[in-house]
Amino acid sequence: MPPVPVPALVPDLASPDMLLRVAGVVVVGAIAGEWIARSTRLPRVIGYTLAGWVAALGGFGAALPFDGPVRVLVDLALGVLLFEIGSRVRLRWLRHNPGLLATSVLEALAAAVAVGFALQAIGQPPAVAAACAVLAIPSSAALAGRVAFELRADGQVTQRMTVLTALDTLYGAVALVLLDAGLAAAGAPDPRIALATLAVSLGGALALAALLALAVGAAARRVDLRHEGAALLVLGLVMLAVLGAQRLGLSTLLVPLLAGVLLRNTTERAWSWPRHFGTAGGLLVLLLFVVVGSAWSVAHLLGGALAALVLLGARVAAKAGVVWALSGWSRLGMRKGFALSLTLTPLSATALVMLSELQRRDAGFGAQVAPIVVAAVAGVELLGPVAVTIALRWAGEGPDAPAVVTARAA
Amino acid sequence: MSLEPFAPSRALTLGVELELQIVNTHDHDLAPHAPDLLRVLRGVALPGDIKPEVTRSMVELSTGICDDHRAVLAQLRTLRDALVDAARRLEIGLCGGGTHPFQHWKRQRIYAEPRFRQVSALYGYLARQFTVFGQHVHVGCPSGDDALLLLHGLARWMPHLIALAAASPFVQGEDTAFDSARLNSVAAFPLAGRAPFVTTWRDFEAYFDRMARTGIVSSMKDFYWDIRPKPEFGTIEVRVLDTPLTIDKAAALAALIQCIAAWLRAERPYVPGEDDALVYGFNRFQACRFGLDGLCVDPTDGAQRTMRADLLALFARIEGHAIDRHAEPAIALLRQSLQEDGNDATWLRRTYDRERQLAEVVRLQVARWAATDT
Repeated sequence: MPPVPVPALVPDLASPDMLLRVAGVVVVGAIAGEWIARSTRLPRVIGYTLAGWVAALGGFGAALPFDGPVRVLVDLALGVLLFEIGSRVRLRWLRHNPGLLATSVLEALAAAVAVGFALQAIGQPPAVAAACAVLAIPSSAALAGRVAFELRADGQVTQRMTVLTALDTLYGAVALVLLDAGLAAAGAPDPRIALATLAVSLGGALALAALLALAVGAAARRVDLRHEGAALLVLGLVMLAVLGAQRLGLSTLLVPLLAGVLLRNTTERAWSWPRHFGTAGGLLVLLLFVVVGSAWSVAHLLGGALAALVLLGARVAAKAGVVWALSGWSRLGMRKGFALSLTLTPLSATALVMLSELQRRDAGFGAQVAPIVVAAVAGVELLGPVAVTIALRWAGEGPDAPAVVTARAA
Repeated sequence: MSLEPFAPSRALTLGVELELQIVNTHDHDLAPHAPDLLRVLRGVALPGDIKPEVTRSMVELSTGICDDHRAVLAQLRTLRDALVDAARRLEIGLCGGGTHPFQHWKRQRIYAEPRFRQVSALYGYLARQFTVFGQHVHVGCPSGDDALLLLHGLARWMPHLIALAAASPFVQGEDTAFDSARLNSVAAFPLAGRAPFVTTWRDFEAYFDRMARTGIVSSMKDFYWDIRPKPEFGTIEVRVLDTPLTIDKAAALAALIQCIAAWLRAERPYVPGEDDALVYGFNRFQACRFGLDGLCVDPTDGAQRTMRADLLALFARIEGHAIDRHAEPAIALLRQSLQEDGNDATWLRRTYDRERQLAEVVRLQVARWAATDT
């Protein structure tokens, strides 16, 4: 009897060859992570990135735009992290602390404006500068969140970092949809079509996010999500929603992030599930950062180096400047304000997913933007998490150093 | 190091200290935001004080010197409102309760101050496990001898006060079966329990000198007794109360202690004796374990009554003093706890039974602490 074909959710992922490669990446990433953790006391996520980075250096990097199983993997992993981060954003905080609201809006705006102008000043075409400006808005919420998780950091800097990175990812993802619509309108005979596309993109993402939030809310009321087994239900729901967004052509960043934010802000009830969904989530995180770390090539780096440096300089200056300048108003204090401004510097997975989206829509235009963004990401990929680690420790939000115990009483 | 002299203070004045929990608003675990909270409050004019405590997820507020229940409640209200306002700006929660129901001691961070670091180095995990939250009530005394007399007189009521204030049934995610599990953590310290039975300040100084000579203690802070004299304030300090879930309960408990002290001073209803210690441990255990339903043995005749029955009889006996000191609303509130609501441990258990999630219990504790209408 001929074998019955088994329908796979993602056929490529299920092929033996692909699974072998995934297993290989897991082993290499895990070894690199342990090596980093033991030899430097830095978060493992730096080891994962380093493994990818070295692979790219040897010419084995993941190709952009992310495609096939790699795309599925990156979207899923990032989606899971963004959902979790979104579910930590309490919008009422922005109402109670207007300084924080101003920080959030202005750091994103300043980054975009600074990058846009700086790139035009060195001769980049306006459209390329605009696209780079949009991609410079989000900080790496996933990376920052993972570093904080591994350090077990807690305090005002950590809490604000989560909110600011989640919100600028949200602004960035919305700005990308708008940019897309703008580009479409410029080329379309009827601007109304572009407007309709925009409405469908944003409305669709919101609707799917609301569905996910409802489903998770319903699950949370019936099972105890503090247990890793029960939390897998949430993980599964998030994955379904992200895959749904992929199929429907909606933003795979917006859907999970919005769902998290909706869940957190539509009810007061305490949500608790294992952070990053325990071991299963940890596996996705490892794969994500190895892949993202490898998504560059020497050719990209050489092609975009100068513009990337300008982009990074403008972006860091704008973000750090705003965060630091407003740290008094937002009641954080100058020292912690400086630490917080450092945590917004990483540029990573989110920017690459946004770049991939851009490339898929318009390959020609994407090819102009890619070298700059890829070079910028590759340039700070390893520095970013180190900066976050140093900032959180410097702010005193890492665990205590072990106390010296003496036998002496009093 | 010798004991500082007893600084006389006006008899029966009150001072209240409350140790509060700082929690995040995500999963409501303890969160180390004390330095930020104190920074936001810097420069705000307040009665009393707001200070750091041994771990960074605790903060302590204290009133100034108060004459009666009304003054205590007014000051606590001002302090509470300022704290809640600052907490909102930082998106953190503050709440009462003697323990955090599911925090893990290992994750607690020691406050960066020499004394706290020293305590942490000496006591190791005990210092972190000592992440418990109490209410301390100071009662003014004109002399050291008065202070010791009041201390031993009040000792008989410690179990009852424990039962009334108990608000720590959950520890590390489990129901301990105790109404006040917090006091079990205090018991781990070497100098916890009852103060020695000395009745004059001169004898107390001699006792302190003997202890200091052994090198075990260097100041009164090294004694973790249920009630201890605080010579530099000119007070005795009642330390057995769990931090209540509301400031109204906190003010009422302080007022009750003041009324008992006034009654003891004015009527000397019994003479405290060394034999009181015989039943003290039993009564204290009953109060911690069973709360208001616990049995209390009378040291003079061995009669057994519930804490609840004893307290209702006490309220009747001190009524005149309560009226003199404007404490009737306080006694009324406590009487309601006895007859209907139970103590705060009852509230915590009922809330958990309804919500089936400890994080949700903490969220409701935060809401209860901030509620301005209570």
